[in-house]
Amino acid sequence: MVSTSLELFGVTLDYPVYSVSAKSLRSSVMNLAVGGRLMKDQSDTAVVRALTNIAFKIEEGDRLAIIGHNGAGKTTLLKVIAGIYEPTEGVVDVKGRLTSMISVGLGMDPEASGIQNIYNMALMRLVRKSVIKERIPSIVEFAELGAFINLPVRTYSAGMVARLNFGVATELDADILVLDEWMGAGDAAFHDKAAKRMERFVASAKMIVVGTHNLGLVRDVCNKVCVLDGGRMSYFGPVEEYFERLAAA
Amino acid sequence: MRNRSPLAAAVGDISEGLRLSPVWWRLGLELTYNRYRRTLLGPFWIAGAMLTTGLSLSFVFGSLLGGSWRESMPHILGGVLCWSLVSGIVAEGANTYMGAAGMMQVQRLPLSFYSLLSANRILINFLHQIVAFWVVMALFKLLTVPHWTLVLAIPLVALTGFFLSIPVAMISTRYRDIGFMIGLFFGALFLLTPVFWSRAQLQPDKRWIADYNPFSHLLEIVRQPFLGQSAPLLNWYASFVTLGVAIVLAVTCLALFRKRVIFWL
Repeated sequence: MVSTSLELFGVTLDYPVYSVSAKSLRSSVMNLAVGGRLMKDQSDTAVVRALTNIAFKIEEGDRLAIIGHNGAGKTTLLKVIAGIYEPTEGVVDVKGRLTSMISVGLGMDPEASGIQNIYNMALMRLVRKSVIKERIPSIVEFAELGAFINLPVRTYSAGMVARLNFGVATELDADILVLDEWMGAGDAAFHDKAAKRMERFVASAKMIVVGTHNLGLVRDVCNKVCVLDGGRMSYFGPVEEYFERLAAA
Repeated sequence: MRNRSPLAAAVGDISEGLRLSPVWWRLGLELTYNRYRRTLLGPFWIAGAMLTTGLSLSFVFGSLLGGSWRESMPHILGGVLCWSLVSGIVAEGANTYMGAAGMMQVQRLPLSFYSLLSANRILINFLHQIVAFWVVMALFKLLTVPHWTLVLAIPLVALTGFFLSIPVAMISTRYRDIGFMIGLFFGALFLLTPVFWSRAQLQPDKRWIADYNPFSHLLEIVRQPFLGQSAPLLNWYASFVTLGVAIVLAVTCLALFRKRVIFWL
């Protein structure tokens, strides 16, 4: 069996931002007509370097927290790890099955019932139908949805959607779980439950990468920390050392 | 580990999408079923547009263009039926990536997956319409046994549409005007392709309009089997060439722009 690992080699990501006018054909044609010199000024396309030369490696059993200020590149890095963005330079080497939960609720069909959404999410993660069927009771139990599971997802509260998403993501045999700000929705009871479930998930030699602002979560659940600052990695190492540094500073 | 070359990544994208066939097949059924939800006549509405357009056109143009109604009706209704497959995959495909933006932001799936999902929905609609077509033909006692080449023509046309829809969806995502343009383009093409008229009815000096239109050949290879005969070989050759061009276009666009589409959303 191939062991699970995640390694980033010099990952840099340039992120083109298109303004409304840059998306229209008229402005592109106008730019062509005007000629090369003015093109840059008029194209309204800004390139943001969101990540600069990120490199680290984590292995089985690791729980990595990615922390940093708003806009430091947390979500972008998670999306690169999840394969949603491909790096401009560098390589992301993923060994194992990766499941991502980047944004709660996105990718769910609000008109379909909870059960149908479980099937759809599982299908997109290439899980067989028979396997999903077995797991449904435990997902429903974890998500505490009860009879709501048969109602359309649009009737759910934000917390219910988060629990359902988290339940599916942790139940479907992923080796690497990528989570972003999943604590945002849901109450204290859910946090405890989710933390316990993550421990169980990690106990079976799997890996978690979580983007968060919550230092309590980092201390309780994670063993490694990656600190981002303006798209650069300013610290990567064990949790204990990070908190010692914080205390010393 | 090294980065794959853009060309290898483009081919990989398509083959990965094809390998996900159980997923887009099931999701396509699910999405079609969702459209029926809370309707009384469900599947009928999917076939309804084809029936109303086809029957109205055959009523008016059947008599305008001469000949007996019983002769022109199968040609026209079959034309409208097959046009939905020939043009639908590309026309609907223009909005594929914008429509799938939610899924694309949270999940890594090959770009071709979304195009296959969209093409599959058109194919499922087409299968509905075939049933409606046969029911109407049976009611008018015009039902004919389809020619076996149908089983070759449908996949050929669907694949061509799928490959063409990839570059079209890419440009429509980058330049939002193109989406509207595609709608107009196919509206005009419906009239400029022998859907409800036939090439022989054109004045000889205008026949090039049917001859140089790849969609008229694609249309013929599916329509003729429905009328009980195989399409002429020329239509088949032209269709295979179109498929080849579509594959080259799709692979080229994927190789050049695959990574960037996510930022165009």
